Formats: sequence, structure tokens, C-alpha cells
Amino acid sequence: MSIRSRRNFLNSSWIGLGGLALQDMLSAADAPLSLKPAHIPAKAKRCIFLFMEGGVSQMDLFDYKPALVKLAGKQMPKAEGTVGEIATFSAAPNRVIPPVAPMRQHGQSGRYITDLMPHLAKQVDELAFVHGIKVDNNHHGPAVYHTLTGNQFPGSASIGAWVTYGLGTENQDLPGFVVLGDPRGSTIGGNGVWGNGYLPAAYQGTLFRNGDTPIVDLHRPGNITAKQQREELDLLKWMNEKHSAARSNTGDLDGRIATYELAFRMQSKAPELVDVKSESEATRQMYGLDDPMTESFGRQCLLARRMVERGVRYVLALHGAGGDRWDDHGDVAGRVPKHCKEVDKPVAGLLADLKARGLLDETLVVWASEMGRTPFDNNLVTDKPGRDHNQYGLCMWMAGGGVKAGATYGETDELSVRAAGNPIPLRDVHATLLRLLGLDQDRLTYLHAGRYKKLTDIGGSVIKQIIA
Amino acid sequence: MRKWPYLVVTGFAILAQAAPVPAVLTAKCAACHSEKTKASDFVVTDAASIRKGGKKHGMAVVGGHPEKSPLLLMMKGEMSPRMPLGGELTAEEIASVEAWVKAMPDERQQAKAEWRWPYEKPVKPAIPAIPDAKLAKSAVDHFVLAKLNAAHVPPAPPASKRTLARRVYFDLIGLPPSPSELDTFLSDNSDKAYEKLIEKLLADPRYGERWGRHWLDLVRYGETSGLEGDGAIGNAWRYRDWVVDAFNKDLPYDKFVVQQLAGADEHSKTRNNYQPDVQGHVPLGFLRLAPWDRSNLVADEVRQNYLSEVTATTSSVFLGLTLGCARCHDHKYDPIPQKDFYRFQAFFNAIQVENVDVPYKDEAFKERAEARIKDLQTRLKEGPEKKALEKMETDLMPRFREGRRTAAAARPVNMEDLRLEMRRKDTALFTLAERQRHAQLREDADRTLDAEEKKALDDFEAPMLKRFKEAHEKDPASLAKRFDVLSVEELRSEINRQTSKIFTAAERDKFRELSETLDTYRRRIGRWQPNALTVKNVSGPPNGPFIAPTRLLVRGDYRQPGEEVEAGFPTAIAGKAEPAVIEQDRYRQYPTRGWRLTLGKWIANKDNPLTARVMANRIWQHHFGTGIVATPSDFGINGERPTHPELLDWLSHEFIESGWSVKAMHRLIMNSATYRQTSENPAAAKDSENKLISRFPRRRLQAEEIRDGILYLSNRLNPEQGGPSVFPALPADLADFARYGRGGAAMWETNDSEADMRRRSIYTFQRRSMPLPMMAAFDAPVFSESCDRRSATTTPLQALSLMNGNLIHEESQHLAALIAKEAGDAKPSQIRTAFQRILHRAPTPAETDRFASFPGSLDALCRVLLNSNEFLFVE
Repeated sequence: MSIRSRRNFLNSSWIGLGGLALQDMLSAADAPLSLKPAHIPAKAKRCIFLFMEGGVSQMDLFDYKPALVKLAGKQMPKAEGTVGEIATFSAAPNRVIPPVAPMRQHGQSGRYITDLMPHLAKQVDELAFVHGIKVDNNHHGPAVYHTLTGNQFPGSASIGAWVTYGLGTENQDLPGFVVLGDPRGSTIGGNGVWGNGYLPAAYQGTLFRNGDTPIVDLHRPGNITAKQQREELDLLKWMNEKHSAARSNTGDLDGRIATYELAFRMQSKAPELVDVKSESEATRQMYGLDDPMTESFGRQCLLARRMVERGVRYVLALHGAGGDRWDDHGDVAGRVPKHCKEVDKPVAGLLADLKARGLLDETLVVWASEMGRTPFDNNLVTDKPGRDHNQYGLCMWMAGGGVKAGATYGETDELSVRAAGNPIPLRDVHATLLRLLGLDQDRLTYLHAGRYKKLTDIGGSVIKQIIA
Repeated sequence: MRKWPYLVVTGFAILAQAAPVPAVLTAKCAACHSEKTKASDFVVTDAASIRKGGKKHGMAVVGGHPEKSPLLLMMKGEMSPRMPLGGELTAEEIASVEAWVKAMPDERQQAKAEWRWPYEKPVKPAIPAIPDAKLAKSAVDHFVLAKLNAAHVPPAPPASKRTLARRVYFDLIGLPPSPSELDTFLSDNSDKAYEKLIEKLLADPRYGERWGRHWLDLVRYGETSGLEGDGAIGNAWRYRDWVVDAFNKDLPYDKFVVQQLAGADEHSKTRNNYQPDVQGHVPLGFLRLAPWDRSNLVADEVRQNYLSEVTATTSSVFLGLTLGCARCHDHKYDPIPQKDFYRFQAFFNAIQVENVDVPYKDEAFKERAEARIKDLQTRLKEGPEKKALEKMETDLMPRFREGRRTAAAARPVNMEDLRLEMRRKDTALFTLAERQRHAQLREDADRTLDAEEKKALDDFEAPMLKRFKEAHEKDPASLAKRFDVLSVEELRSEINRQTSKIFTAAERDKFRELSETLDTYRRRIGRWQPNALTVKNVSGPPNGPFIAPTRLLVRGDYRQPGEEVEAGFPTAIAGKAEPAVIEQDRYRQYPTRGWRLTLGKWIANKDNPLTARVMANRIWQHHFGTGIVATPSDFGINGERPTHPELLDWLSHEFIESGWSVKAMHRLIMNSATYRQTSENPAAAKDSENKLISRFPRRRLQAEEIRDGILYLSNRLNPEQGGPSVFPALPADLADFARYGRGGAAMWETNDSEADMRRRSIYTFQRRSMPLPMMAAFDAPVFSESCDRRSATTTPLQALSLMNGNLIHEESQHLAALIAKEAGDAKPSQIRTAFQRILHRAPTPAETDRFASFPGSLDALCRVLLNSNEFLFVE
């Protein structure tokens, strides 16, 4: 079976087999997730968004700054062109912290990557980096909202909601937008960061958990068998069809009948979807499922692949929660290596696996965090230096469909505080992400409260330099 | 008479005057885009059809703006596919179209100048005459029937009493009728039976819980900041209870508005030092309900974000005006200059964000609150959890000290050892003066985290550590006593450490659980205390310092202040841009007290063209699913045009004349024949979108109606009203996601009693980061922005929650028990009772047969009926 037909097979057989797909039963207005044409021809059809919560220290991972080594332990020079806390903190007596591990050049692109990411380093030529992105707020809550919904206050639609609103989804039997949460806990913004905001609820992310109950209320209570539930649903269907037959304009009624059938099939199929045991040993190892350190995020990455393979439009995989976030105010030397270890192999495995299956060309993979960190110590844990938040220094990378592999856009100053030239507003990244998926930020709009809302608010500039 | 389709008429009139369609379009595009071929529904016949565009891209031409016109973008290949398909255009041809578009007027600017309706005071229209007056029960019907008549569409027949009962109950109180209530209504054959029912339900206190919830959607009601740990913003429930009460007692809407904007600002024109009623602080919660970014340290930005939010929400909620669009630039569509945004904002400039103690006025409630507080305080002081925690601390302390001692023995002496010894009162090594000095230096260093303070401490500690080491080498045993000073606080931090080598994970979990319970009690005490989420005013001169004037912000950026502005009303409505005359107390002692009051009184005024229309439209919307203006918070150009403008104008006059009585509006609307139609009208195929209101629209129950309705049917809904919010159980599956990380704070709480979990949904805690999954699935998240219309989506998650969720399973069992008790063991009798209770009708013979052959339990049978569309939809 060719890769394409295998995928088509998966799409059509997943849950849909043996029953009508929801799409078939609904008119367009009642099937909000039905396929919609892209605005612009695009290579990337799906997106996996890897979100590292807490503020990844860019100068420890990807942003190579030899000056940090030279100035290590010395007073931080005042950071120009910043306001708010960065301006205040950088003016205080603060010592520069050098990168926690050596950085080396890799691949044809010769990019520097930390020794803490040996697996990702091998994939470096697939990645396109953006340095010096500016976020609207220097605090986790608003910054997470800004990164994932385009607005620092709750209430806006998340990127995944926008994308599924714009494109629909290929597999009507699965949610179009899936969230793979960190089993250690919720994001600081809670469920709103994958919410539908002002868009209809059908576009909200569906949280998939690790384990046997991937979706809330997926399982029947223990005292009810599948046969009993089937009997209930048969009776319900009989009742509802009779009700519907006596009425006109029954799109809403029929849609509801269809969802029960779909929900019933999901119960048996969803556990299968999240059951990674069916994957080969080699694949499991590739994602680090054989190591307790990498098992958790490895599973999320592997699930992300299984999802996009089955036509899920947008997958948000979250890493970091509570005290285990990338929020390293103290002990960067101890904590950054740990975070890196947790994600390095899984992320590299995901890229390699997608590539091997011919999926990488059609899948956009994004690495993001809600902010960068400061080059200097914030004196919070005095014996183990740590770095503060830095809304000016966010680094992100993209890979896969339509991305110019090996490219770099933007550059930070010599200490990686902020962009050396003009700052890159986050909305530029959002505009680029949409463009790579074939969506025009100005045409992907929704009328709400008197305005045509869009993900990029006042509009960003597509970063053409990282588009192939 | 005003012409409603004015805009459209003029819009096309403009186009008709434009230069003729360029020849190239007819020559090279018409093959596919003629009236006959109509590819993509796009036709190049005339300017109007070109402007209208096709189904793919909408408007093909933006007058005056070739760069924004899809037609040109596609001809140039900047938008794919390049047009004409397979053909080529010369530069001249493209230029000719470009010039043509450039010369076209910009419809948007034109429309802005012409859409004047919202800003002009409505004239009370005459009630239209209709041929068959018998069809009408009220003036409302005349307006509706006149339009139906003109379109040659008959209204739907009247609905049955059973249908009406269900409709009216859900509509007014958000719950189904009980079997006896239904009987009473059905057996009342008098003419007034229906009107009596409406009166009964309007007087029912559950009415306020239903209609108050509509209002809470609008005012973005939530109880937490939404950001950074999502902490509670204060006792928002006081505002919620005020809203419920205001609807119940039919507080005139003009007062309702003023109190939410300036409740505690009333003043006397005659008396000096007049003190406003402190109760007025409760409705001011309106100004505090938005997500609140309290973590941001850029003070100016926080303040500006706050003021902008309040400005935008006030104007959209009360005026249906999207002033918020003018924060950064002049409104793109409506006649609202950017300056108007800041002039409006200036009314709020004296706000001091601060909560205020507002005593409970209701004696019974006061006693209830005091009793709760006393009980919780007792539990905190000597309750079982407190005792268990203390016992744990006492029991674990020796092991803790021993653990530290053992750990210390295995490592060289360090600063920790010195610091412990320094805390010993009976140390032989250090003098009292040295100990006190050390304590002071440590405190300074810890408090300030300042490098200089730290250095002073280091300098002091270095020789002391040396002394300690020497003594320790000579006689370690006598210094081992230092571990006895380890305190309970240190034990707590040790036991909370993930990596503790002294305590086990089980001990940590138990300790955390007990501590969290006590924390919950503390929070709960705070919730019962009479503190209200509200605002105050800074006083300004003469009693306080000068208040910085409001300035227009260039691009809405707090770092780019522009010209100074004075408080004033939107020019589009007021007709002028002069500063408002601020109402003052006689002796001008409290000048800022008049700011918001002046705004409130201007909004809640019979001369304001929008206020009454907007609210009358919202009331209509909640009865019919859609407003007469379908975009209830946007009466501007981007909003929908009213379907029945004269009716809305008439209603707004009636509203004002009734003394702004919301209940009078319910009577007016619900007693009409229009409201009493069935949901089916086979003769109205033309009106598929129901814009003529040729039938009563069927609607899916809202999340609250589903949850509350199920609890009500099983007779388990806790009817208690008001008070701090409660926490229904989360699905067990979600428990591990209901925490901010391993060891992080819990997002959900327990309740004082199990019955609290069965309160009406309006009383559930509105945590922005954790909406109840079932509620969110049925389109009721916790709102962060004003929500003027809920969507009604259909997703498999809804089916899962009603097939498998806790609620449906628990309540179907209770409901089955009720039915069995009433109907006995005979299945047909059980089926009949189940139908009566859940669907409010008897089963048909076919249904009785089919249900009798259903092998499942009575619980299962109840679940089927509760999941049926007949239950989940109201018609």
C-alpha cells in the first residue's frame, strides 16, 4: 500500500468503517468541520504545535552567543530598547550566566545547537529558526494566551480553532483539533488556551489524555455493557428518527442523531488510537518510549503522529506543568538539561518518523514557548543561578511542509536579550503559520463584537524568509 | 417613514452612476461568468454584480481600492488561481480595470455616512393595520402579521397547551414544569389560563436565576482572573445575586443600568457631606468582572487595559455600540472617531480598583453567613483535619530532626549548621548580641534579595562559620542539639518537597490533602464574608491630588499619549463633541462622584436612541432565539439589519412607557399570537430562515437548562438561592488535569455539603481556566468576553457526556426510583409515568410497545428519554 493510500485508508476506516461518517449525514451548515478549500495553495495540510510551557532559555538551546561566555559572572550591561521588567532587572546588579552546556555546529546549515539536544542536532537541517520574537507580556498567563491565541487576554480563539475553522478537517470521525496534555497537569492558562473563543464550540480543542480514558466521559460506567448501551442507543435512535420525521428543517435534529452513533464508535476506537503498543519496537524506541525520562513526551509525540496520519488537522502537544515547566528561575544548570532530555529524543523521533512515512512534507511542525529568558541571573535562588522571563527573546522553529529547511530569520543582540534589529512581533509568526497551511490571515476572519476578528489582530507580516 | 433598506438602495445607486464596466471584463471573462454560466456564482454583467462577487471570495471589488479587490488580485496572479484561466491579460487591460475600480466610490465610507438609524431617536410607529385582525392577540402581532401578509406567508397555527407549557417554563425559569404544575395548567380551561401561567412564572424567584444568567453572559461573568494561576478576583457572587434579585423584583432597567455604572455615586444637590448607600457598591461588580492581569508589573499598561476593557464592554452591553473598535484608530465602519473612545473612557478615569465591605441587608442571609463562618473557623481551629495535621506534625517532627541530623553527619559542616546553631537560645558558642545581629542580617538579606545585604551577611557569617567549624571538630556531640530548633514551617517545606529523602510520598500526599482542606476552609470563610467585588473613586481636588487627564493614545498604545480629552458622549449619538456637563454635588466636595453617574444617566435616558432598543431587542432575542437585530451588541453597519424595525421601535417606546419594566416586556411578547405559534409551518417554505417569524423557532436547551432540568426531574435539584458559588464534581477522568502541575494548586474544590453540588448551574463556581466539561461541551464556557449570543453546536462530546457522564447516571437512577414509586412495577405504567415526567405527554401505543420490548432497566429507559431530541429541544 502506498503511503497516500494507506493514509486514505486510515482516514476512511477510522471509526467511519461500518457506519456513516458524520459528514455524510449533515448539511454544510450543520457540519462545521467539513473540508474547506485553502485560500492559497499550500504544502502543509496539518500542523503539530509543540508547546514548551514556562519560557525556554533560548541562549542555552539554540541562540549561540559567545559573549555570554566572555562575560560570565560579570555584571550584566544595561539592556537597551527594553521597557518594563527587563529594563528594570537588567539595570539591577545582575550577573551574566553562560550557557549551561557547550554548543556546537551541526549539519550542512552549520547551526549551533546545545550538546543537551544530541538527537535534535541530527535533524538540524530540517529546521527553520526565528530569533528575537517579541511577546506582548512578560508573564506566563498572558504570554501563554498570546502565543496560543494571539491575544494576551483570555476569550480569543486559539490557533488550532482558527485553523480548523478555516480548513475543516479531513477525518470527520475525529476531532479536528486535538490537545495532548502534559500528564503532570494543566497549563497556567487552563483550558482557554485551546478554546474556541468567539468561534463556535465545534472548533475548540479536544483534550486527549494519556492512558485508558483519552477523552472525558469516553467510557461507559462499569455497570453497563456495550450491548446494553447499544440497546439504549437503538431505542434512542428509533425515538429520535420518529421525532425528526414529523418535523421540517431537521438539520439540527439529525446532526444530533449522528453524533450518538459517532460517540458510540469512538468509545471502542479511541482507546485503539491512543494505544501505542501496536507500534513497532523500533518506532517506540525512536520516540524514547523505552526510557522513563522521555516516555511521557515521547508518547505525546507518537500520538501526534498517529493523529495527523489519520487526518486530524491540528495537534497541540504541551510539555511542562506546574513546577516542571521550563520556568527556570533557579538552577538553570540542573533544570535545563532535564527539560532537554525529556523532549530531545521525542521531538527528533517525531521529525524522523514523519519524514520516513512521507508525512513531513505535508505536516508543519512548530516548536514554541511563551517567552525567552534573560542572559543574567535573577538572584531568586542565590546559590543556584537562574534566568528571568524575557518577552523580547523568544526563539521558535518550524519544520516540514513548505518550510525552508535550514533557514534562519532574525537575530538577537550579542547577549540574546532582544532582536538586534526590529523586533519580530508574534503575530508575524502566526501569519506565517497560517500561510504555510494555506490560509490568508486577512481572509480568515470572524465577525465578533463589531470587528472582523483575526488571529493576527492588526495583521502580521508573513516571514517569507523561512518559506520554501 | 424611514426607509430600512436605505443603505442597500443607495449602495447600488452609487454603482449605477459609476463608469461603464470595462470592455475587457465582458470580452475575456463573460464566457464563464455570464448570467448563464455563472462559474463560482460570479457574474460580470454590471457593476453591482461584480461588486457583489462570487461564492468563494465575497465582494470582488472594494471601491477606490484596487489593491484590496480580489478581482484585480486574481487578474494579476497575486491571488490564485490567476484569471482568466488559461488566458492572458495585457498590462493595458489590467490598467483599465484598475482605473475603473479606483474611480468607484468607497462603499464603506459611503455606508458610514448613511447608516444613521441607530443614532436617531425612534419615533413611535403607528400600529399597522392587518386584513384579518382576529389572528392578532396584541399589537406585536400586527407588526409581524403585516410583514407576513406582504410576503403572502401565513403564520403558523397556535401551539398546543402542552407545547406552550414546556416552552414557557423553560423560557421563564429555565426548568420544565412539574407533573402537578402541568396538570394545573392543562386542566384550567379559562381564557386566562395562559396569562395566569405567565404571571405565576414571572413571580417565581427562579425567574431571576434564568434571566439573570442571560445578563451574566453579557457582562462576561467569571470569578477568577483568568491568568497566571487564575486566582479569585473577589466575591463576584455578590454581583450575581444582585442581578438575580434585580430581575426578580423587576428593578426598572434605567436604574439597573445606572447602578452598575455608578451605584455608589449618588449624591445630593442640597446637602453637604452626603454619604451614598454602601449597598450601591455591589452592582459596580460589573466594572470588575473581566479577566484581570494582576501579575503584570507594567502598571500603566495594566491600567490602560483595564480602562479599555470597561469602555468597550459598557458601550457594547448598554448601547450596542462597538466603541472598542476605535481604541487604536477611527472605527472602520461606524461613525466613531478614535477620540470618542477616549472621551468615553474619561468617565471611568477616577476609578480606584478596590473591594469594599458591604454588609448583608437580608437578616436571614446574614445569619446564614455568620453561622457558616463560625463553623468554618471552628473547623480551622480544632476540626478533625486540623487535629490530624497537628498530630502529623508532632509525630513527624522527631524523624524530621533526626533525618536532618543524619544527613548532616554524612557531609562537611556548612552554613546551614551555623544558622541552626545561631537560632539556639542556649548556645554556648555565640552571644546574644551576635545572634540578634545575625538574625537581623538574615532577615534583611532574605527580604531584599539585595547583593549588598547579602554581602553584609556573608561578611558576618564567614568568621562565625569558622568558629563553628572549630568547635564542631572538637566536640560534635554537644552541637548536635542544633537540630532541635528546626521548626514546624521547616518540616512543612521538607514534606512538600518532591525529592524529600526523609518523608515518603504517601506522607506527602496525606499532608497536602489535609493542608489543602484547611486552605479551602480559609478561602470559604473569605467567600462568606460581606466583601464585595467593586470599585471606588479617587477623590480628586479639593480633598485629594489632581487626577491626570485622559489622553488619546496613538495606536491605542499606553506609551504614546496624544492630545488631552475631556469626558463626553459619542458624537454619533450626541451630535456634538463637546465635553459632558458633569453632575456635581452642591458644595463640589466630591467632584469625581459625578463622572460615571453622568454617563449612567445619559445612557439610561429615554432620549438615548439606543438604550431602550438594545434591551428590548435582547429580551426579544431570548424569547425567540434571535433578536430583531440578530447582532444584539452591534447595531452598527457590520451588524445585521433589523428584520422588524418598526416593531423594535414600538417595543422600545413601550419599554420606556412601562417604566423600563422588563417583566412588562415579557408580558407584551409572550401574550402575543406570534409567540404562541407552533414550530412547524408547512405553508412558510419561503421563510426558511424564519426572518418573518412565521413559526416559533425550535431551539436546543442551553447547558444550564440541561443540567438543571435533569436534576429537577430526578427531584434532586437543591433549590437554595444565592451565596458563594459551589463546586459540582468534576469527571473523575479529569482529576489529574485539574491542577497546575504536579504538586501545584488545585483548580477545583470540595463543598460544605453534598447537596451543594446539586445547586442550579448559575451558582457553580465560574473558574475561567476550568469550565465544567459538560457545560463547555454544550456551549457554556466561563466567559472572558461579553457574550451576546450563545452558539448551539452539535458535537460527539455532548453525546458522550449524556451517555456516560456522572450526572446522567446518578440522576437517571434517582428518577427511575421516583417513577417506580409512583407507577409501581408494571412496565406500561412505568413507561407512561416516565413519558409524562420527562416529555410531558403520554406515550403513543407504538411507543409503549417499543419501550415495553426494551430489555434495559428503568434507569436506562430514563436515560433514553433524557437524551431524546424531544427532551433536549424546546419548541
